[in-house]
Amino acid sequence: MDWWSPARVWRSRVYRYRLIAGRCKSCGRAHYPPANACPYCGSRGLDNVELPRVGRILSYSIVYTTPFEDKDKSPVILGLIDLGVTRLVAEIVDVKPEDVKMGDRVEAVFRRISVDGGTGLIVYGIKFRPVRMG
Amino acid sequence: MVYITGVGLVNVDRHYDKSVRKLAFEASVAALDSSMAESIDFIVVASSLSYLQEPQLDLASYIASSMGLRGVRSIAVESGEASGLAAVMTAKSLVDSGLASRVLVVGVDKLSDHPSWRVYRNLSMLYDSESDAFYSIGLGGVAGLLMRLYMDVYKVDRQTLAYWPALMHSNAKANPYAMLRFAITPEKVLEAPPVAEPLTLLDTFPLGDGAAAIVVEGRAGGGAIAEIVAVESSTGFQSIALSDDPLKIESLETAYRRLVERVDVKDVDVVELHDSFTITGILELETLRLAERGKAAEAVAQGNFSIGGEGPVVNPSGGLKARGHPIGATGVYQVAEIALQLSGEFPGLRVEGARGGLAVAVNAMGSSSYVAYLKAVR
Repeated sequence: MDWWSPARVWRSRVYRYRLIAGRCKSCGRAHYPPANACPYCGSRGLDNVELPRVGRILSYSIVYTTPFEDKDKSPVILGLIDLGVTRLVAEIVDVKPEDVKMGDRVEAVFRRISVDGGTGLIVYGIKFRPVRMG
Repeated sequence: MVYITGVGLVNVDRHYDKSVRKLAFEASVAALDSSMAESIDFIVVASSLSYLQEPQLDLASYIASSMGLRGVRSIAVESGEASGLAAVMTAKSLVDSGLASRVLVVGVDKLSDHPSWRVYRNLSMLYDSESDAFYSIGLGGVAGLLMRLYMDVYKVDRQTLAYWPALMHSNAKANPYAMLRFAITPEKVLEAPPVAEPLTLLDTFPLGDGAAAIVVEGRAGGGAIAEIVAVESSTGFQSIALSDDPLKIESLETAYRRLVERVDVKDVDVVELHDSFTITGILELETLRLAERGKAAEAVAQGNFSIGGEGPVVNPSGGLKARGHPIGATGVYQVAEIALQLSGEFPGLRVEGARGGLAVAVNAMGSSSYVAYLKAVR
């Protein structure tokens, strides 16, 4: 299936690979991914900020209804991750579903998101894994 | 004043033998026949998945042509799961502005034409493709996150949240247009296969096809079924991650506040709300202040919102859960059902003497919300 567009994936590489968020110069709030104007106050005066790479699981879900290109990796652990300055929804990896707990500390890792059979495109991005002790 | 003068519903089901155009045709013919309208000025088509799955662009004109409505004015409305109510809002605006005197609104979508894994991918596009839907959120991944958060924040157990689907199935039994017309117990909900834990299959809507139509006009004469008093809406955050309070649907709160500020919303005896998942229905009850925050699931478990229970009757149709949720068509179903409740003609569970009703639509977990207020004309 040719779902992903190479141009679209290429355009988003910097903020996806490096977790770059938008930060509003007016109200000071951060948001991810970076938008054209602040989603909170509407100001167009934005700069960029690199997000912390360690956060906390605010909530998670074990997803079995995965779309076609991800059928093999079902179930997927989806997390609502709190990075302090903002939150994001992302996959949680390198842990068994039964071992995930609310409030667990997680860190960003660079991972493959999808392999598109139609376009031959391999899509990369950030996922999160539990912070290892010691 | 804008009135509904005709209603046409197709039962939600797996209609392998019928195309999008055929379903839209059947609903439209039923609506036009019941309104005894000789002609219409405008057709407004609500659909969402059709653009990805038929695939067909400029759907409204192709549907109009396939119905033999030569030369009619047409427009398509796509607002994800809220398409149906967005189309009703569009139709009302056309009549209010004088651009049309009689408008046919038809909502249609098919969820059973493709394998479920493809439908899940397409449904994930209801969410933001630049944030949440970049990942494998599947069907209900984001709803699953919210459900666990709700249970954690309010200390509500999974069992208490299982009464909602049970109530919806109970309501749907009498509705000839519902897809799932059988009772289930809360225990069954917990035992069902997981979809996006803690959500199970019985917390979600069935993948069915459907079409619903209404005829909307400015001068009703004696043929009015109900009055559409107002439709309001609001956009929301692109992801629950951006909201400081994801357990409140901000777009719905804003839409509802706009509605009550604009018109006198009173005697709401019946509500059709958007329970795409158990948690969505629960959060909407709380956002509309029909229950205290953190208490809606418990209220449902105690029998509120059922016929004879406390509060307005909510989803006597069986809701998205059991009537079904043919994405773009759902809002039109809801408005049609409320209209029939208000005229005392709903063929399923009836709210006797209902004076006013609300229809609520929410895309994803609140990227946009719409709320329509209808009043009886009896």
